[in-house]
Amino acid sequence: MFSRNKTESAQVLSGMKAKHQRYEALVKAFHADIYRYAYWLVKDQSIAEDIVQETFLRAWRSLDALNDEKAAKSWLITILRRENARRFERKQFDTVDIDDVSIHDDTQQADGDIKDRELQRLLGGLSVEYREPLILQLIFGFSGEEIANQLGLNKNTVMTRLFRARNQLKEALEKQNEQRGRVNG
Amino acid sequence: MDELEFRRRIYADPETTDSDVVEAAKADEGKRSFWNEQKQLDKQLKQALKIDVPEDLASKLIWQQSADEFTRYKRRSRWYLAMAASVAFTVGIGLTMWYHQPLSIGGQALAHMQYAEMEHAHSLLPVDLNMVNAKLASFGASFNEMLDGVEVANYCHLSTVRSLHLIVDTPQGKMSVFVVPKRGDISVPQEFADKQYHGESIKLDRANIMIVGDKGADLTEMKAEVAKRIQFSA
Repeated sequence: MFSRNKTESAQVLSGMKAKHQRYEALVKAFHADIYRYAYWLVKDQSIAEDIVQETFLRAWRSLDALNDEKAAKSWLITILRRENARRFERKQFDTVDIDDVSIHDDTQQADGDIKDRELQRLLGGLSVEYREPLILQLIFGFSGEEIANQLGLNKNTVMTRLFRARNQLKEALEKQNEQRGRVNG
Repeated sequence: MDELEFRRRIYADPETTDSDVVEAAKADEGKRSFWNEQKQLDKQLKQALKIDVPEDLASKLIWQQSADEFTRYKRRSRWYLAMAASVAFTVGIGLTMWYHQPLSIGGQALAHMQYAEMEHAHSLLPVDLNMVNAKLASFGASFNEMLDGVEVANYCHLSTVRSLHLIVDTPQGKMSVFVVPKRGDISVPQEFADKQYHGESIKLDRANIMIVGDKGADLTEMKAEVAKRIQFSA
């Protein structure tokens, strides 16, 4: 009886330990990409960090529901998008539509070269419906089909948005080069 | 594949390996350079997306998980604590109610029987009707006729109730008659017994009478005698 209890509690303990290890592996493997995705979604470092924390907390609580390690990435993205939507429900009165405001994020200036900063600004300037599929493609290497599944859109819509996103970036870059050329010349 | 369609496909996915796109690029130098340009831009974009991740983020995520686990554990133990408190509370209430239950004094009467013999030895004075009535007067009661064979008449306390204890010699052996004034917190059982004695009670308006005799004794007659003789003053 006693020894049986002992083995049972040992099993529970080792179960907990396994869960911890699994969680830590999940954090290590995905926290950077998930954070970057969150940042490019909301364009604010501290909000991104909050959302990521909330996301991983929820992931921890329902870690048992994650059966397929391959699905971990898209599972986390799903949780994060839900968290972000929740944030909008909570704060819909005191947020401005960030896409209408041209922002220049000073905190990102310190690192990366001028080209990076320029591209970051242009990426931030894309509307979220164009930006999000592009981020999923670039950060997570998702295919059009995977993006479509993740966002609940059909594949053609996703392809069109990706096309428009890059097209807008390209045009903006060309316009900038022209302007710079004019100023410099 | 025309120029527009080619660009559309490349813009949608610069990493594409679709054979028709690849074929079109092979056949056209301009398309090829456009594609390379696009790949270059994507590389830069990927680089630009790699913003710094807060250094301590991973540790924070792991820390908050253990904190969450801890608070959940605490909440769980608090739940147990509440359960234990609730049980203790219920037991407390139950005990209190049990204490306040009317006290049954049948057992007390039986215990008193043990003393009957001893008391008998101490009584020197003969017991007559006047003496019994004098003692009954404090309960507002009296006998209109003396019971046969009363040997001892004494006050005694059954639990906390002062009662009159008569020891009567009968053909069926010694019997005890207890006159117990009514009190809300005292209950008198209809019948009670132990190894040696058994007793029955008569419930009257203002007092209870308990008759206790030997195990085999028939108490019916004594009950009738007492009930017939006792009176209560208005």
